[in-house]
Amino acid sequence: MIPGKFRSVSGRATNNVNCGLHLVIQTSPFPEKNKVELRLNKETPSFPGRLLQHDLERNYSSRQGDHINLVSSSVSSFHILQRSSEEKILYSDRLTLERQKLTVCPVIDGEEHLRLLNFQHNFITRIQNISNLRRLIFLDLYDNHIEEISGLSTLRSLRVLLLGKNRIKKISNLENLKSLDVLDLHGNQRDVDNLPCLQRLFLSFNNISNFESICCLADSPSLSDITFDGNPIAQEPWYKHTVLQNMLQLRQLDTRRVTEEERRMASVVAKKEEEKRRESHKQSLLKEKKRLTINNIARQWDLQHRVTNIAANQDRKNSDSPSLDPCQMDGSTTSAFPEETGSLDSVLTNALQALSVTDTHLVDVDGDTLSLYGSGALESLDRNWSIQTAGMVTTVSFTFIEFDEIVQVLPKLKMKFPNSLHLKFKETNLAMLQQFNALAQLHRVDQLTIDPQGNPVVNFTLWKYYVLFRLSHFNMQKINGTEVTQNDMIMAERLFGILAHVASSELPHYRVISILGDARKKQFRYLQETKGKKHGIVNEENNDSKRFVGENTNRAMLNYTTRDFYNEKLEETKEKKKFCKIYIEDLVKEATEISMKKEALQKLWPQMFIELVRDAVLETRNKNSYMKLCLQQIADQK
Amino acid sequence: MMLSPERLALPDYEYLAQRHVLTYMEDAVCQLLENKEDVSQYGIARFFTEYFNSVCQGTHILFREFSFVQATPHNRASFLRAFWRCFRTVGKNGDLLTMKEYHCLLQLLCPDFPLELTQKAARIVLMDDAMDCLMSFSDFLLAFQIQFYYSEFLESVAAIYQDLLSGKNPNTVIVPTSSSGQHRQRPVLGEASMLEGVEASLFYQRLESLCDRHKYSCPPPALVKEVLSNVQRLTFYGFLVALSKHRGISQALGALPDKGDLMHDPAMDEELDRLVVRSRLHRTSRQHRAEKPGAFGFQRRDKLEALEKVPSASARTPYPYRWEPRQ
Repeated sequence: MIPGKFRSVSGRATNNVNCGLHLVIQTSPFPEKNKVELRLNKETPSFPGRLLQHDLERNYSSRQGDHINLVSSSVSSFHILQRSSEEKILYSDRLTLERQKLTVCPVIDGEEHLRLLNFQHNFITRIQNISNLRRLIFLDLYDNHIEEISGLSTLRSLRVLLLGKNRIKKISNLENLKSLDVLDLHGNQRDVDNLPCLQRLFLSFNNISNFESICCLADSPSLSDITFDGNPIAQEPWYKHTVLQNMLQLRQLDTRRVTEEERRMASVVAKKEEEKRRESHKQSLLKEKKRLTINNIARQWDLQHRVTNIAANQDRKNSDSPSLDPCQMDGSTTSAFPEETGSLDSVLTNALQALSVTDTHLVDVDGDTLSLYGSGALESLDRNWSIQTAGMVTTVSFTFIEFDEIVQVLPKLKMKFPNSLHLKFKETNLAMLQQFNALAQLHRVDQLTIDPQGNPVVNFTLWKYYVLFRLSHFNMQKINGTEVTQNDMIMAERLFGILAHVASSELPHYRVISILGDARKKQFRYLQETKGKKHGIVNEENNDSKRFVGENTNRAMLNYTTRDFYNEKLEETKEKKKFCKIYIEDLVKEATEISMKKEALQKLWPQMFIELVRDAVLETRNKNSYMKLCLQQIADQK
Repeated sequence: MMLSPERLALPDYEYLAQRHVLTYMEDAVCQLLENKEDVSQYGIARFFTEYFNSVCQGTHILFREFSFVQATPHNRASFLRAFWRCFRTVGKNGDLLTMKEYHCLLQLLCPDFPLELTQKAARIVLMDDAMDCLMSFSDFLLAFQIQFYYSEFLESVAAIYQDLLSGKNPNTVIVPTSSSGQHRQRPVLGEASMLEGVEASLFYQRLESLCDRHKYSCPPPALVKEVLSNVQRLTFYGFLVALSKHRGISQALGALPDKGDLMHDPAMDEELDRLVVRSRLHRTSRQHRAEKPGAFGFQRRDKLEALEKVPSASARTPYPYRWEPRQ
């Protein structure tokens, strides 16, 4: 759409320099060109007639070739143009070189007073060799291959510059053309650049689709009138206020007056957008950082596991006698040569150490979810969380942390995040059913999510039922997203109820107490170690005992001690066992000695008895002498 | 049996050792030491009574460490029986589980039960093929029984089998493909000279001498003979499978009921039904009381019998004298 008004704008100039300028850039479809007759006003009918009404017919083609000699110079690669002096005098101020199949601008010799230069329909790629034509007013480079506006810095008198149908990508280097009135850039691919005097800019139908290509116009202080219609940009929802916000000096947009109201709206909207963009940028930065940290933690977790896998396989290899029990190495582990695995092991541990230098854990609170990545994150539970933050947390998610380590901080979790109802575990090496026993010490768990990734326990057929059974006092609602039904609970009870029954009712009394006591001892020990206030601890204690009673006591038998603790305990009892052994051995020795003596006595007794009797009979054979003997014995005694 | 001359002929220490009396004595004293604070409440005599009662009943091995569980044949049998009682319901439900899952169940009763034993038991069931396969409860239990109860015996048998296989005895036919007793190789078809396993009679001869050496923890030789008399040749795992399925051996062990009755335990089933009903009541009543989380405790009317048996554990009063911080 060609705007209707086209007044001469020179009257509006406020500066000394004539900065009124019309710029028409349009891509209206051309009529088929008249090959021979080139009428400028046909192609660009909106041009003010004045300058252009030169009698082109006079110049044209038939006479061109005769008058112009293009002499190729051996010195430079440019053609040097010379006209016969006759021509020079006749058309001293104009030179037409159209359709000359020129690929470069020739050097124009001796035509310093040229006012009109026509290079239409050539193949010129650069504007060159015309800087000496300081009187040039009209320069026509229509239909060439010009890629860049350059070489015009000396043409201070230039008032009309026709660069339509070229390949100009950017409007630039026009700063010195202070006289420029008309600039035709239609049919190019160009970004509009900085134009100091530009007042009105018509950019209709130029396929402008984003704001970046015209943002340079914002810097133009003189621009007051601009049209963008017919461009994709005009269809955008943010078009109007973005343009208005960035081009504050505009008075008319798309031939409509810009009101104060619109301007204000534009600025408000723009500000909001800026805010939003800043915010989202910050968010995305944060997210990116989080993602990188999590990747790092994942890698470290992976490495750790591979190292332990190799170590475990090596152990197995060493311990098994090869003939009886070939160890079952799965294909994923490394080769069978110990040297090789040894070196791989060291490579991995090195890599592991390298990784630990960077971020190894991440703690993230996002509304109601507390996410912990990496075992280092567990320490964050010691932090002083504000009551508000801690109170809001209902979901706690653990990733890339060994479950055994999580078990040890569960009391802390219970205390610091009392409202945590949903626990999520991913890549926590949850591999055994009894590990779930450890969760029983929490207040309450409504939902449990065990991600199959990194948690082999999910492969078991019975794991859900075991969870429901062991943690029946929680009245769990959902496991891994699926609702827990009454039937599930009943099934759980059916499967494992006897276990609980046996555990509680058939154990000797002292064992029950010791097992329960152990569990409570552990918790109390933790409480003593924390820096909680005194009354806090007392409360906890009461709650604890309440909790214990609340929990199905028969299930309380089923505890989980981590492998390390268990071995520790076994170590502790080794001393006692040794002592017991020695003690019992002593007892046995004593008993066997006594038994032996008894047996010996049994054997010897008959003989002894006979001897006793024989001695007695012998003694009492002679009553008189025996009586004397006895009396003497009594007397001796005194 | 009680007053048999051979028993009386043993020197004291040996006699005690044979009956594992010392093991139990030592363990009893050790347990006493570990729990002296708790035991001192109600007296040492009662402690010993309870301890030996539980030994008799076979509940002494519950939640004990593996070294104790495998210490005596009686312990092993008790453990097998306990495992059966506790997880019979799993079998009854018809679930087929993997070796790892059975191992988990074992570990519920014995936290440090070694994986190798479970693996070996699984190998018997699966004939050393595809160790990830699912197994039924009864299959696993019977194989596990043999493996666990006679584990030392089986190791010696494996050694003997290896010897026979590798031709230490000139009468054996060497099977070229098999490098260890544990690998069950598929016999190459069409090769009549390649035979699997060892000759049964030869095998039995060696086993018999082994049984004589191992005075106890050995399947009765007569039954072993029975197993071996049915076949000409057999592989190691074939032998084990036959052992596990032989009812006489299982009966001689005395830990588990007959295979047909493995799912039967009417007393426990009754108890289970009661538990299920109670748990249902619990759940509904708890749902009603969901608003008052702290209201558990003695207000509950539907206490389990277990609670009554453990009064001190559920008491509200703490045990201040027990909670000295360790180191």
